[in-house]
Amino acid sequence: MTAVRVILVEDEPLVAMMMEDLLTDLGCEIAASFGALEAALAWLAAQETPPDGALLDVNLGGGETVFPLAQRLREQGVPFAFATGYSTLPSGDYPEAPLLRKPVSHEALRPLVAAFKAAA
Amino acid sequence: MLEAPVQGEGAGIDTRDAAFVLVEMIEALSAVRTIEDVASVVRIAARTVSHADGVTFVLRDGDCCYYLDELAIGPLWKGRRFPLVQCISGWAMLNGETVVIPDIYADPRIPLDLYRPTFVRSLVMTPVRPGDPVAAIGAYWARRREPTDDEVAKLQIIARATATAIANVQAYASLSESLERRQLLMRELDHRCKNTLAAVQSIADQTLRRSASPAEFVESFNGRIGALSRAHELLTRGAWGPAGLAEVVGQALTPFCAVAGLRISVSGPDLGLTPEAAVAMHMTLHELAVNATKYGALSIEGGSLDVAWKLDCDEAPTELEFQWVERGGPPVGEPRRRGFGSRLIETGVARELGGQGQMIFDPEGLQFRLRAPLSSRISRP
Repeated sequence: MTAVRVILVEDEPLVAMMMEDLLTDLGCEIAASFGALEAALAWLAAQETPPDGALLDVNLGGGETVFPLAQRLREQGVPFAFATGYSTLPSGDYPEAPLLRKPVSHEALRPLVAAFKAAA
Repeated sequence: MLEAPVQGEGAGIDTRDAAFVLVEMIEALSAVRTIEDVASVVRIAARTVSHADGVTFVLRDGDCCYYLDELAIGPLWKGRRFPLVQCISGWAMLNGETVVIPDIYADPRIPLDLYRPTFVRSLVMTPVRPGDPVAAIGAYWARRREPTDDEVAKLQIIARATATAIANVQAYASLSESLERRQLLMRELDHRCKNTLAAVQSIADQTLRRSASPAEFVESFNGRIGALSRAHELLTRGAWGPAGLAEVVGQALTPFCAVAGLRISVSGPDLGLTPEAAVAMHMTLHELAVNATKYGALSIEGGSLDVAWKLDCDEAPTELEFQWVERGGPPVGEPRRRGFGSRLIETGVARELGGQGQMIFDPEGLQFRLRAPLSSRISRP
C-alpha cells in the first residue's frame, strides 16, 4: 500500500517541522511543504496527479490567507483541513473542511489522515 | 430688504430668556457624540440668543474653513469650503479674535462676491478656542446694525461651550477607537499565544526526537525556548510591527557576544521583517550560533564570525543575499546526521521568506547562505 501524499502549508517554520513529523509518523508522505501561498499555488498547478490531502494554516502572515489554495484544492477534489490559532475561521466558506485548533496534536491528526486515506 | 423673523419680542423661533437657552444648550452639548450634532445644537442656540437672521457653524480644516452647518432666513454657504485667508471666519480663526462688522460694504476684509447673493448686511464672527481655534460661529443680520455688547458676549459664551463640546467629541472618538483597537489586540494576542504554544510544542517534540539523554534535552530545549522568548521580546518592543533585520541579528547574537563579541562582525542595510519572519530568522540564527559555539568558529580562541547581507538589485524582484561565514574554527566536515538545528537553519527562514537556504560545510568554516526576494515579509524600511 502506498503512502498518503499530503501537502502542508504553514508559515511558522517550527510548527511546520512538527506537523511534517506528525504526518510522517501517521504514515503520510510529505509531497511538499510551503510557507507562502504563491509557491503552493505554483506547485499545485504544475502537478499531473494532485496530492491525496492537504493541511492548511489559515493565516500566512503579511495579511495573506490560504483560501485561494483551498478553492483550487476543492476544484480538484482534494480533501483538506484548516489549522488555525484563531478561535473561529476568519472568513471563507468551506463547510467540508475540518478545522483543527493549534497546537495540533497526534490525536487530532489521526482521523484526518484516515479520511485522506479513505478518499485516496 | 428681507424682514428677519427673529427680532426680539414676539418673533419666530424662540424668545425665552437667553440664560435659559444657554443652560439648555450646555445640557444638550454634554450628551452629543459627533461634531455634526454639536453644530446642530449650537446653531439653534446661537440664533436664538443673538436674535440674528442667520448663523453659521464653521470648522477649521487645515488651511480652509468648512461651512458645516447653518440656520438662516436664506441660504448662506453650507457645505462649502474657502481658504482661511479669504473669509471672515478664517480671519477670526487666524487672529483668534471676535470680528464685529456693522456694514459689510464698509469693511475691506469682506469677500463681497460671496456675500452679494446672500441677505447678509452685518455680522459677528467669534472663534471657538481663541488660543488655537478649531471652529468659528457666525451671526448675520439682514440690515446694517451695530451688534450690542450683550449679543457679542453671549456668542462668546456659546463659543466657549462649543470648545468644550468639541474636545468631548474628540475624546469620545479617541476612546471608541482605543476600545476597538483593544479588542483587535486581544484577538491578535490570542492568536499569537496559540502560535507560540504550537512553536513550543514543536520545539519540545523535535528536541526530544533527537536528544540522546534527558540532560541533553533540557539543555537544548531551554536554549531554544530562551531564543523564542528573546525573539518575542524584540517584537513586543516594536509593538508587533515590522522588526529591523539588524536588530534581529543583534538580538539573536547577544547571548553569544559575551564570550566572543570581538570576533563577531555584523553588517548590512536595514530591512524590515514581519513578526513571523523575524521569529523564523531569530530561531535560525540561534541554531547557527549554538552550533558555532559548540563545534564551530566560536568554540576556540581565534575563530571569527562574519554576518553580512546586501541587496542584489540585478534580480527582479530585488533579492536579499545573506551570509554567515565562520573562519578559524576546527576543521568542518559533513555532519553524520541532520538534526533539528540544521533542518531549521536550511528550511526555516528560507521557507518563511520564499527563498533558498543552504549550509556549506567548507573545511575552513561553516557557511550559511540565504537568498530571498524582497516581499511583504521582508522589505526596505
